Amino acid sequence: MAISEVKRLAQALSQEYNAANPDLAKCGQFLSQLKIALIELSYLTHEERPNNIEELTLARDVLEIGAQWSIRTKDIPSFERYMAQLQTYYNDHSALPASPLKYNLIGLNLLCLLSQNRISDFHTALETIDPEQLHNNPAIQHPVKLEQSLMEGSYNRVWSSRSEVPSKEYLFFIDILMDTIRNEIASCSEKAYTSLPLSDAGTLLFFTNMEDILNFAKERNWKVNPVEQKAYFHSDADEKINIPADQIIKQTMFYARDMDRIV
Amino acid sequence: MSEAPRRSTRLNKNQEDDSKGKAKPVDQDIEMEDTAADATTEPAEKVLTPKELEALVVADIKQHFALFIKSAKTHEARFAVRALRAVSSLRKRLTSHILAQTIANCYVKGKLFSYDDTRKRLLGYLGSEAAATITAEHETTVTKSETPEVDVYLHLLVMIYLLDQNQLEKGMELSNITVKTVQELNRRSLDQLAAKVYFYYARFYELTGRLSEIRPTLLNAQRTATLRRDDDTQSTLINLLLRNYFHYNLYDQADKLVSKTTFPENATNNQLARYMYYLGRIKAIQLEYTESHQSLLQAVRKAPQNNVTAGFQQEANKLLIIVQLLMGEIPERSLFRQPVLRKALVPYFQITQAVRVGDLNKFQETLATHAATFNADKNYTLILRLRHNVIKTGIRMISLSYSRISLRDVCLKLHLDSEEDAEYIVAKSIRDGVIDATIDHEKGFMRSKENVDIYSTNEPQHAFHQRIGFCLKLHNDSVKAMRFPLKAVQLDAAEVEAARDQERTLVQEIAEADEDMDEDGEL
Repeated sequence: MAISEVKRLAQALSQEYNAANPDLAKCGQFLSQLKIALIELSYLTHEERPNNIEELTLARDVLEIGAQWSIRTKDIPSFERYMAQLQTYYNDHSALPASPLKYNLIGLNLLCLLSQNRISDFHTALETIDPEQLHNNPAIQHPVKLEQSLMEGSYNRVWSSRSEVPSKEYLFFIDILMDTIRNEIASCSEKAYTSLPLSDAGTLLFFTNMEDILNFAKERNWKVNPVEQKAYFHSDADEKINIPADQIIKQTMFYARDMDRIV
Repeated sequence: MSEAPRRSTRLNKNQEDDSKGKAKPVDQDIEMEDTAADATTEPAEKVLTPKELEALVVADIKQHFALFIKSAKTHEARFAVRALRAVSSLRKRLTSHILAQTIANCYVKGKLFSYDDTRKRLLGYLGSEAAATITAEHETTVTKSETPEVDVYLHLLVMIYLLDQNQLEKGMELSNITVKTVQELNRRSLDQLAAKVYFYYARFYELTGRLSEIRPTLLNAQRTATLRRDDDTQSTLINLLLRNYFHYNLYDQADKLVSKTTFPENATNNQLARYMYYLGRIKAIQLEYTESHQSLLQAVRKAPQNNVTAGFQQEANKLLIIVQLLMGEIPERSLFRQPVLRKALVPYFQITQAVRVGDLNKFQETLATHAATFNADKNYTLILRLRHNVIKTGIRMISLSYSRISLRDVCLKLHLDSEEDAEYIVAKSIRDGVIDATIDHEKGFMRSKENVDIYSTNEPQHAFHQRIGFCLKLHNDSVKAMRFPLKAVQLDAAEVEAARDQERTLVQEIAEADEDMDEDGEL
């Protein structure tokens, strides 16, 4: 396929995607066609051919739309694939003109890692970001602050960050994150309180309606006392401490063997 | 003679080195001089004229040639290692004139190898001035046997010279040629030299900011070295590759490289120290603090402790401090007092203080003041993670000092945003096992539980196990590291004495080579 044709296709895709009511299925078709066409150009890095800026920019734009499209269709694996492909365009081709979407997508990727609790990947990804952008770009700052709040346990701030998202794509991941947080809070509460009034539990867990609370309590196996309107958490106070005999035997044998070698 | 400007501060030391070599009979046949040559020398106090100095360096280089040839003949790597160890002291004394003279001596027309081109090329790199100093007189004295080792060694010396003269473009060109030669030759006796060649090759590209270009070459060479079980080259290349990735913050790739390669066990301490540092950094970024801590501790311990390696020690200790803090430990105060480290660690000391007291305000202040330093050290993101450690320490302190405290007071003490936040944070600390307490939600306070006696738990036993394990490992490693002479039977008194002398020289050389480890601020 000639480059002009690919260009036409890409244009059609971006038109469709940026329309007021994009037909996502149609975009998907465009994307798969484009991907095949791009492979014939310098889609991924070619060693033999000098990189053509025009082709590379085209490929990157298509991939960017692809990444956003994946979020719209709620397809996380596909989003990750697009991001992995985009990494080369962002990091290795310094000649390419900067993309306006770059940091937005990187921020989304960070959030995606965060929502899946892949903290170590999150930090590795963070290191590749230019420090200047890291401190000033709102698209990056948002997930970074979010991670900090999560680590500290300021869940209140995580909840309120929902209203400060830099772009609407972020909401998709934040909603996933909310579920994770709710479970986090619940497991913290189980350890920290002996009992909790149901209405308070509701505020802690960001539930507004009593039914949700009760369902959630059931899911986590809390004992709810309907008269007092309180939830009781099972305490694990009388846990028995066993003597770690196996371990001690192993260790002593290990010492004996090594001592034998010395003497 | 003209010393390279950056070396001038070491002039005094150089002269000492030189004077040691003085008593050595220069014109004697080098083959005969053998390994014990240095042992017979005595420090002479006479100040040497430049000309004599020059002659000494030339003689030293010749002696190295002999060592390389011997190493190639006997298949004993240690002779080559010996010669390479001396490179660091030689480096300070190299001049274009000396090099030109040596080259002229080695590459003579009509010899076994057609070295004419090489000779012209090498002289070309040294500049026309040096080439002009070559007279017919120099060409008459001919070193006997030329082997590829000598050839590569000369290339290496010229590369080092160009690096010291800051002639980066030329050096890069030459290093390209040399790397190609080394790859084509495939001789086991070249392994040690090859490692050095790759090192300077990467150094040139780094200084010209083109590190990413040589990645494929290094990866190829690494693969070859692994297949040939060439430990020296392998360890050097792994470190170069890691450094390459770190330069571009590509920790993901670095991590993959580490997981796909095994670092050779026989690598030198210096390479091992570097590798451990890189490993520590990767692990720290991936939040595996315990592993990171172990690696960094090894890096700090394996690195030679002297002023020349200050750069490495500082970097490694900076990272070590942060990792310790992230693990919830407080580094020892004495660390910050060491003369080599004191100045570089000041910002880190302040951070440590903030974490120790659990003062969030002070932490933020320090972070803001030293942001530039932390960024330059590439530790900023790691330090950002400390924020919640500060809070944790704060909570632990509160929990230790109060048996009951209202959440409002916790919030005020820790400078948190709101009471609700305080409640969540305290709850999380309880779950994470930072403190042992319960929260009373209705009355809004936190109650600490009684402290458990630590000696009634398994903790002490665990701690003992760690220490014993460490001691035993140390013992085993030292046993493994011992070397015995091949003919251990019946040495007469003279031989014993000679062996001892040789040992002493070796120890001295090792010390000198260690000093040189971080000449170029390799980290």
